[in-house]
Amino acid sequence: MSGQEPEVEAARAASAGTEGPAGGGRPRRCRRRKRNGAAWALVALQALCVVGPVAIIVLWAFTSAWPWPLLFPETFTTRGVEELFGPSQRLGEVLATSVGIALACALLTVVVATMAAAALSRYRFCGRDVARFAVLVPFLIPATVFAMGVQVAFLRAGLSGTVVGVVVCHAIVALPYAALIMVDAMQAAGSRLEDQARLCGAGPVRVWATVTAPTLAPALLSAASMSYILSFSQYFLTLLVGAGKVKTLALVMFPYLSSGDRTIASAYGIVFLAATLAVFLLFEVLLRRQVSREIDYFNG
Amino acid sequence: MVDRLALRRAGRAVAPYLLMAPALVLVAVFLYGVVGGVLQGFGIMPFLGRTDVTFEYWQQVLTRPDLAQSVSFSFYLALASSLWALAGGIVLSAALCAVRQTRLVALVDVQIPLMCAHILVVLFMVSLFSGSGLVPRVLHCLGLVAAPSDFPSIVGDASGWGVLAVYAWKEVPFVAFCTVALMSHVSDRFGEAAATLGASPLRTFFTVTLPLCKGALMKAFLVVFAFAFGAYEVPFLLGPTLPKALPVLAYIEFQNPDIANRSVAMALNGVMALVTTVAAIAYFVVLKREGKGR
Repeated sequence: MSGQEPEVEAARAASAGTEGPAGGGRPRRCRRRKRNGAAWALVALQALCVVGPVAIIVLWAFTSAWPWPLLFPETFTTRGVEELFGPSQRLGEVLATSVGIALACALLTVVVATMAAAALSRYRFCGRDVARFAVLVPFLIPATVFAMGVQVAFLRAGLSGTVVGVVVCHAIVALPYAALIMVDAMQAAGSRLEDQARLCGAGPVRVWATVTAPTLAPALLSAASMSYILSFSQYFLTLLVGAGKVKTLALVMFPYLSSGDRTIASAYGIVFLAATLAVFLLFEVLLRRQVSREIDYFNG
Repeated sequence: MVDRLALRRAGRAVAPYLLMAPALVLVAVFLYGVVGGVLQGFGIMPFLGRTDVTFEYWQQVLTRPDLAQSVSFSFYLALASSLWALAGGIVLSAALCAVRQTRLVALVDVQIPLMCAHILVVLFMVSLFSGSGLVPRVLHCLGLVAAPSDFPSIVGDASGWGVLAVYAWKEVPFVAFCTVALMSHVSDRFGEAAATLGASPLRTFFTVTLPLCKGALMKAFLVVFAFAFGAYEVPFLLGPTLPKALPVLAYIEFQNPDIANRSVAMALNGVMALVTTVAAIAYFVVLKREGKGR
């Protein structure tokens, strides 16, 4: 997602001079500025639409009384936070379960999706079109249908109510997203660098470790964070497959949404967002390190 | 020497199948669940010793008065939210391409919405638009709304606007995420060529950039459509009591302790799977056409 920014940025910097329609010098620049102004306004509007609700949630988490028509809460409380971190909620345990499941799902999905993407983009084989379509099937039939249908089978296989069962189901849902990202990335990268490394005598493992993995690092991390996010925010599937025994953050948060205790629901919301953001930023740091190494390899 | 060559050739022939195997296992589990569920809708439940095919439950489902309403309500939710997501996603993606994209812009505009679970977005929308939410308060200050009850309720409104608001907030950035990389690539290369030949920016966008992004946009549209058609949480929390969205209806029947209701639920799931399979065929056609274009 943001991995190719240096390239894009460089391309844009190079093209900045020639952008815009033909015409006189002054009007061209004027029109371009106006166009960019409109684009900036849209981007800022979207940022407002995102940051606004998040800010209100943060406010609500510390609000004890916010009577109608006031635009700002009247009194504040730490009740939400206290209850959240209190012993009855077992927040630590729930968070550990959620993050653990999501990380395991991300790892499993990325490995499986990368293997599939390698087959789909590097080989011509009988049934490739069917395989390409099969990987995308979980996009098209709703997970609710799958969850209700698989419940009995999982019960009988002893996977119901286990973390393993939940991870497998989350990986199924995340697979098409990760596979699309990896196929696109592998097709864009091509196999020329790998072929060169092979010609120079590197074995398949070494080629993967020193050429393929660094080239695909942005896509791999993008696929991993997508799978992580999908797993972390799954509710219905976890409810049915986890059978109430596997408690994730989304599951624990849900009753507060329908019962309407907005202070606690908001406190949970903040924890949810913070946990996702933390792991996402960790991925981003890993990516940066990888990208700077990549430059050493190919441009240095 | 010949043997090693033959061995290597055999390895190359087998390799793609080995690489595909784990993904196909996961897909097989998925299809096993879906097919097993649909079969339960026909009364086939081997775990209870029932193996006879019956159309009783399908008949029951297809003749119930609320089915048509539920199907059309779910269809309306899915179509409205995916069309809105498509339009908004194109605009957002074009805007992101036109400005210098920084890490921060990408994070706030696209990645944070991707990170928020749907149930969290429900909380966002409720705090904004419910009777005691911020928007009615602001409107009150402007003298447009007298009391909280004058503002159309976000929960349970028959138009389902609350559900649509959640999907709009969540899926517009998703469509932008799916297209922005391709769009900036296309507009850098081909859009510039068109501009050099004298096309106006709008004309360049509509005749060059957009058609070249069509494949990615169609994919994103169908993903959003199928998701919104089959998702449970948001219509359960914000949807009206009647008509209920199809997944909500199915889960109510599913939870009923009577085992006959489980078959009814599975028949409802069958209806859902049928509708999305039609979407899947459309998707396959798109993929094929795109493959030919390449």
